Amino acid sequence: MFIINCPYCGERDQTEFSSGGEAHIVRPKQPTELSDDEWAEFLFMRKNIKGIQFERWNHSHGCRKWFNVVRDTSNDKIHAVYKMGEKPPVNK
Amino acid sequence: MLNFETTLQVSKSYGDLTLSEVEPILKINLRSNKREFSTKIGKLLSIIPPIEANTSSSNEDYSILWLSPDEWLIYSNNKISYEQQNLLEENLFKNISNINQGSVTNVTDHWVMINLKGSKIYDLLSKSSPYDFKNFKMKKGSVAQTLLNHTDVILHNTDDNNLNLFVRRSFSEDLWLWINDSARFL
Ligand SMILES: [Zn+2]
Repeated sequence: MFIINCPYCGERDQTEFSSGGEAHIVRPKQPTELSDDEWAEFLFMRKNIKGIQFERWNHSHGCRKWFNVVRDTSNDKIHAVYKMGEKPPVNK
Repeated sequence: MLNFETTLQVSKSYGDLTLSEVEPILKINLRSNKREFSTKIGKLLSIIPPIEANTSSSNEDYSILWLSPDEWLIYSNNKISYEQQNLLEENLFKNISNINQGSVTNVTDHWVMINLKGSKIYDLLSKSSPYDFKNFKMKKGSVAQTLLNHTDVILHNTDDNNLNLFVRRSFSEDLWLWINDSARFL
């Protein structure tokens, strides 16, 4: 259990949020030109590393907005929270 | 308009705590990110949608709750007939939706509003909510969207030890039963 600082509502308990997985995955511009392997890579493959990870979260039981979180997956320490479309505040 | 039978017709008291459904009142969901939207609503209802998170604004007839940077919930402070509700909805629809200034959705039958009052209401809510009510209960007009017994709720602090709770109709009976059950142990 940890607290997430929603950029719109403020600090709330983690149970109010849903995780949306790895952030900043860019959709390929021409999906038709990709091989099945390359398409599967975009669609399914996620890093899920131990350490600092860039993630998308949704405040599903609050304002229902999406935003980005920089979280250390080994201890759930949140290093930064920033809105969709904003530049990651720490080196990515 | 369908005339819904509600399962929560009775008002209940447990010592100092009183809970009752308030019906019929108007509830309208508004969504917009247009610049003139705020002044439009101001003209129509003489009330401005709040920009600050977790707050509300009220006048004699209506309250507008902040739900998200581009979403609000309007409800009538007093009981009003379905005929009056329809007139108001039409008026908003004509002046907002029809000219692409935002969306107007009548959610009267979507949400059930339960009024809770008494000195123990926050003890009751804290039994099964992850929300920290410390600031909420100090500030009249505060709004919180959170979970109560795993159910989505919108809470509006209307006065000291007095709040309105909105719950989706299909979850309302379950939450009502949980509240009644928990209130016995306060
Ligand atoms: Zn939020």
